[in-house]
Amino acid sequence: MPLNTITKNFRKAYTEFTTRIYDVPPRMLAFLILVMFTLLPYLIPYGRPLREILSVLISANLMAILAVSWDLLVGRTGLISLGHALFYGVGAYGTAILYKYFGWPIWITIPLGMLAGVGIALIIGFPCLRLKGPYLALLTMALPLSVTGFLYYFGDVFGRERGIADLPRVFPGLRLYDRYIADYYLSLALLTICSIIIYKLATSKTGMVFVSILDDELATKACGINVTKYKLMSLAISGLFGSLAGAFYAHMVSGSANPRFFVDPTAILPMENSLVPIIAAILGGIGTIYGPIVGVYLYRLLQDFAFPRIFECLKAIGVTVDVYLQPHIALVAFISIIVLLIVRWPRGIARAIVEWFEDLEEPREVEEILKEKAEKG
Amino acid sequence: MLEAILIFGIINGLIYSLVALGFTTAYGISGIVNLAHGAFFVVGAYLYGLFLQPLSNIIPQEFSFLAPVTAAILSIIITGVIGSIFYRITLHHILGDEVSILITSIIGCVIFQKLIYITMGYAAAFQFRIEPLLSGQVRVLNTYVPSGHVLAAIISLIAFSVLAIFISKTKTGRAMKALSQDLESAMLMGVSTEKMYTFTSLLSAGLASLAGILYTSALTQGVASQMWMQALAISFTVVVLGGLGSIKGSIFGGLIFGIAEYAATKLLPGGGVLQQSIPFIVIIIALLIRPKGLFGKKIEME
Repeated sequence: MPLNTITKNFRKAYTEFTTRIYDVPPRMLAFLILVMFTLLPYLIPYGRPLREILSVLISANLMAILAVSWDLLVGRTGLISLGHALFYGVGAYGTAILYKYFGWPIWITIPLGMLAGVGIALIIGFPCLRLKGPYLALLTMALPLSVTGFLYYFGDVFGRERGIADLPRVFPGLRLYDRYIADYYLSLALLTICSIIIYKLATSKTGMVFVSILDDELATKACGINVTKYKLMSLAISGLFGSLAGAFYAHMVSGSANPRFFVDPTAILPMENSLVPIIAAILGGIGTIYGPIVGVYLYRLLQDFAFPRIFECLKAIGVTVDVYLQPHIALVAFISIIVLLIVRWPRGIARAIVEWFEDLEEPREVEEILKEKAEKG
Repeated sequence: MLEAILIFGIINGLIYSLVALGFTTAYGISGIVNLAHGAFFVVGAYLYGLFLQPLSNIIPQEFSFLAPVTAAILSIIITGVIGSIFYRITLHHILGDEVSILITSIIGCVIFQKLIYITMGYAAAFQFRIEPLLSGQVRVLNTYVPSGHVLAAIISLIAFSVLAIFISKTKTGRAMKALSQDLESAMLMGVSTEKMYTFTSLLSAGLASLAGILYTSALTQGVASQMWMQALAISFTVVVLGGLGSIKGSIFGGLIFGIAEYAATKLLPGGGVLQQSIPFIVIIIALLIRPKGLFGKKIEME
């Protein structure tokens, strides 16, 4: 069979698939995925595997909130932030300090930690947003570093390297595995609510102003729109959700607030909290809002499940890699691939794949589609 | 006290402006904000440290000064080649896409850090000793300064003047300047963007390597694989103070930053811990006074 016929048949089959079988609206698809993730704890045997998988998913959910807030700021407004860990850390420290020195319950301290994130966003936004282009990116990258210096300088208040430890859990009464399940549901609910709010915002009139700033700032200004106000607004909203993720992370996963949230030279990935949103957004598509969620899940899937398996396979062949070096080698391989993918498709890998699939569909006439719809009724 | 602050501030400031020089040159000529500059700073210092030990064993005692010089030259050349290869593989394909360039180059930093960790091992990745270039002290006015510091500051000044002469006098330098002034006309005159930009990144990575050698041997006496963040923070501060893309500005930016930092660490109680944060404070104050930097033209290669 010549190649032409194969492609033609494949195109036909694919078009059939997308029009008849896979004819689900995106909202429905999102709902189905949500239902799947809701049922997930009941599909895994109760015990250690449940705990391992859920602990990865909890931190992935919270990181996804951070990634979505990064996407609103960078993908929709065009303000490049390379130090989004700042908001994560401010949220965690905000709630931790209020708990430690005032002893308030967490349902008061977490919203106040979020307010602290907004405050920090406004404080840094006021001088930073007078800058354009690369300056803002450079400054946002230097910010978390500088804040770490302050944390050590006022070490008596912030607790130096150890940070503020022994924070209360969100669900203190539950037993170990039940607590993981409860945390998981809470983080999933938070991710759903936050991403819906951000998506609605990004598609609202305000969101359109954000996109117009990204496209052409001068033209936006010429339309009589106060650009600085909207930029500050975008930064503040991003800070609000970023610090929400950080605050819940401190109470759910780590149990402490420490300088790790800003810059982490000891962990596998330094500045992990700043870089993961970026990598996720690239994997999922910048400016899509839902893309970074997929990206974060993909990143954690590769990091926590795929790479250990690959090293096991290598060991079976006879190549043994030092256990301590494994995560580092995996990371280098992973991010090198990401860099090459960015070079090939600068606007996100998911977007490129979607476009590629769209190209596969058979070009159809409008009349044909209308006829089909009439047949359906 | 004031005299010590001024002298140490100026010496540190000259080294800081050298750290920013490669960064600002790359932006001035090709308009690329290459954050991988921090990685080349670290790689240069590591290569220097690695070459120094075997070279000082080979070279006879009488010519012992040759060992650091050869090691530095080798390190600068190799880092320059690494830098140009990095540019050619990644950044060259996404010219003009600001977000992608920033993200790619910062991921590049992490890749280099992890490669150093994998090849050098845990201990050397966290603390790798770099011997000072000179031992002993020199008396400047009434203050005693380590002679390694003075040598580093002098080399930094030499690097500045050599670069300035190179850009204004040689044919290649003029071609680079032409590209920064008017891209299309320069291309019409037969200047190859690809060659010039690759050469610029080689130059910039070489300067980063030189800065890394001088900074680590004079100021910190050691290098760590995550030091690229520190190098970038210094570069940002100098660049924001002096204006991105301006060589003249980066000297003044470096001097102001050096003096401000030394004064703050000496005058504040326990200020040594705060050293990391001082760039940020300086940047914020500078931005509130002059939003576009002290010499804030977009491109100025004089």
